Amino acid sequence: MATKKEEKQFEKERKKARKERLKRMKEEGIEKYLTPDQIRYNRRKALIDSIWPIFRFLILFGLGFIILYPMIFMISTAFRPSEQMNDPSIIWLPKSLTMDNINDVWKVMDFGNTAINTVILNLVASVLEVLSCSITGYGFARFKFKFKGLLFAIVTLMIIVPPQIITIPLFMQYSFGWITVLKGGESLINSPLTMYLPAIFANGIRGGLFIYIFRQFFRGLPKELEDAAYLDGCGPLRTYVQVMVPNAKTSFLTVFLFAIVWYWNDFYISSSYFTRNDTVALMLKNLNATLIQELFSGQQVGIRQIIVWLEAGCILSITPILIMYVFLQRYFIEGVERSGITGI
Amino acid sequence: MSNEIKENEILDDVNEATEATEEAAEQIEEAAEETPEVTASEQEFESKISSSAAPAKQKGMKIPYERRKALYGYGFIALWFIGTIYFFIVPLIESLVYSFNKTQPVNGEMKLEYVGLDNYIYAFRKDVDYSPALVAMLKDTALKTPLILIFSIFVAVILNQKFKGRTLARAIFFLPVIIATGPVIDIINGNMSTGGYAGGSEQFSSMFEANLVDELLNFLGVYNISDSLTEIISSVVSDIMNLVWNSGIQILLFLSALQGIPTSAKEAANMEGATAWEYFWKITIPYISPMILASIVYTVVDSFVDPSNDVMLLVLTKSSSWEHGMMAAMAWSYFAIVGVVLGIVVIIVNKVVYYEVE
Repeated sequence: MATKKEEKQFEKERKKARKERLKRMKEEGIEKYLTPDQIRYNRRKALIDSIWPIFRFLILFGLGFIILYPMIFMISTAFRPSEQMNDPSIIWLPKSLTMDNINDVWKVMDFGNTAINTVILNLVASVLEVLSCSITGYGFARFKFKFKGLLFAIVTLMIIVPPQIITIPLFMQYSFGWITVLKGGESLINSPLTMYLPAIFANGIRGGLFIYIFRQFFRGLPKELEDAAYLDGCGPLRTYVQVMVPNAKTSFLTVFLFAIVWYWNDFYISSSYFTRNDTVALMLKNLNATLIQELFSGQQVGIRQIIVWLEAGCILSITPILIMYVFLQRYFIEGVERSGITGI
Repeated sequence: MSNEIKENEILDDVNEATEATEEAAEQIEEAAEETPEVTASEQEFESKISSSAAPAKQKGMKIPYERRKALYGYGFIALWFIGTIYFFIVPLIESLVYSFNKTQPVNGEMKLEYVGLDNYIYAFRKDVDYSPALVAMLKDTALKTPLILIFSIFVAVILNQKFKGRTLARAIFFLPVIIATGPVIDIINGNMSTGGYAGGSEQFSSMFEANLVDELLNFLGVYNISDSLTEIISSVVSDIMNLVWNSGIQILLFLSALQGIPTSAKEAANMEGATAWEYFWKITIPYISPMILASIVYTVVDSFVDPSNDVMLLVLTKSSSWEHGMMAAMAWSYFAIVGVVLGIVVIIVNKVVYYEVE
C-alpha cells in the first residue's frame, strides 16, 4: 500500500499526464480520437465540474448557517447584560460583555455538583449498557438457537415502543416491587440504581437500538476469526473477549459516545425516577422556574428579561458534550461509517 | 443491472443447494446419533461429511456441537432476557392492563377497577383534544418523513464528495445529533417565542415570509393554485429549521451507506459514461435503498416518541393528573395506529428495496 503522501503524488502525476495527452490530442485534431458523443460528454462534464463546487459551497454554507444559527444566538445572548436585550440597536453584537449571567446560572444550577453527579451517572450507565448490549448483540449475531426470531422481535419492539408507555408501571415496580430489597425495602426512586439496573440488563436508554447496532456489526465480521479461535481451543466467552472485542473497538467507541450523549440529554426518563433536579438535563428543563424563584423572588417575568440566563444555562449544559464532540468527532462519523449499521 | 441480479439469483441457488446438502448431512448425523449401533461404514461417512462434529466427539463430549453452540447462544442473551422480562415485558403488559381499568394509586398499589373498553371509547369519542391531535400528528409525520429523507440523502451525497473543508462541514452537520435530543432544543425552539421575543427557529422562520411562496408562484405564472398546496409549501419553508435539525441521524445513516458502494460500481459507471444524474438513480439509490427503509422507520419512530409532540404532551398531562388508565389507553391506541402505518409502509418499501446478496 502506498502512503497517503505517495497517493497524492500519484494523483498529481496522473492529472499531469492526462492534461498532456489531451493537449497532444487537441493539436492533432480531437475528432480523430473521440466520437462527437464523447466530446459532448467531456465538455459537459468539464462545465459541471467547474460550476458545481460553487453551488456546493453555497448550499453547505446556507445549511450550515441554519444549524449554527441557534448557537450563534446563544453565544450572543448569554454574554450580554440583561438590559441590553431591550436595546433595539443591538441585534448580534452587544455593547459590552459580561460573565455575570454565567456566574448566576452556575450558582442557581449548582453546576459543579450537578455536573459531577451527571458525569458519574452517565459514565457508569453508559459503560454498563455498552457491555451488556454488545454481549447480547453478539449472541444474536453468531449463535443459532430456538425462538431466535421471536426473541429478536422483542428487541425490535424495544426500539419501537415509546418509553412513555412503560414508565408508570416501572415507577410502581421501583417504588414498591420486590426489587426494593436491593435498598432494604426502601423505594428506589431518586437512587441512581434506577438508571444502572436497566443498563446492566441491556434495557437502558435506547438499549434496543444498541443491541441492533452490535448485532449488525458482529454479523459483518468474518467468521474465520472465531473458527480459528475455536480450533485453538478457545471457549465462546473467551473468543468474544479476546478476539471479537478487540476487532470491534471502533464500534464500541461509537456506541459508547452515543450512549453518553443520550444519557446526558435524557430528561424524560430521569424526570420520572428523580424527584429532585439531580442531572444537568433536568436542571435545564426546569431552569425557567428555578430562575424565577431564585433571581426574581417568585415574580412572573417576561421571557425577554430572563432569556440571557436561559441561554447561559444552555451554554453551560452543552459545553461538556461539545468539548467531547470536538475531540472525538472523528469517531462519531467514521465509527458509524465503519460499524455495521450499514449492513441492514 | 439485470445481469447482476441474475447472477445473484444463481448464487442464491447455489447457496441453497449447499445448504440443502448440509442439512442432509446433519440429518444423517442425527440419525447416526440416535441409533447406538452404528455400522462402521456409516461412521466413516459421518466423519467425512461433518468434520466439525468430529473433534468434539473425540474429546468425549456428550452434547453435540450444534446444540452446545445453541446453549452458549442462550448464555449470551440470558442477561438481556432476564432484564427484558422485568424491565420491559412486565411493565408493557401491566400498562395494557391499566388501559382496560379505572386506576387509582392507593398507598403502594394501583387499585384497578375493570371498565372494559371505556377508556378507549372516551379517548376517541369524548376527549376534545385527543383525536384532532392524533390526526394532526399523522398528517405532520406523513409530510415530514419524505422531506427529511430527500433532504438527508441530498446532504449525504454532497458530504460524501471530496472537497476542502469536508471534515468541518461534516462536524457541523452532525451537531444536531448531539444537541437535538436534549432539552436545549426546547429552549431554542419554544421558550423564546412565547414571550414575544422571537428567537431561534421563530426568528429564523420569519426570514422567509410566507407570501414569498405566493409571489414566486405568481412570478412563474402560476395563479390560483389550490390553497392547501400553498399552505403545505409555506409550512415546509417556514419549518426548514426543524427539518435540518431533525435529520442528523438520517444523514449519518445515508453517509455510511454511501461509503458502502463498491468502487467497482463507480468505475463501471464511469467507463460507460454515466452522467451524475444517471449515476444517482441507477447506482446510488439502489445501493442505499436498504438504508432508506431504515431511515423511514427511524424518522417515524423518532417523531412518534418525541416527548414534545402533541399527542405525547396530552398523554403526559393525563399521567400527571393521575389518570393512568386513560393515559395507557391513549398511548396504546396511538402506538397501535403508528405501528400499523409503519408496518404497511415497511411492506411496501421492502418490495422496492434492492438487497445485494453477498
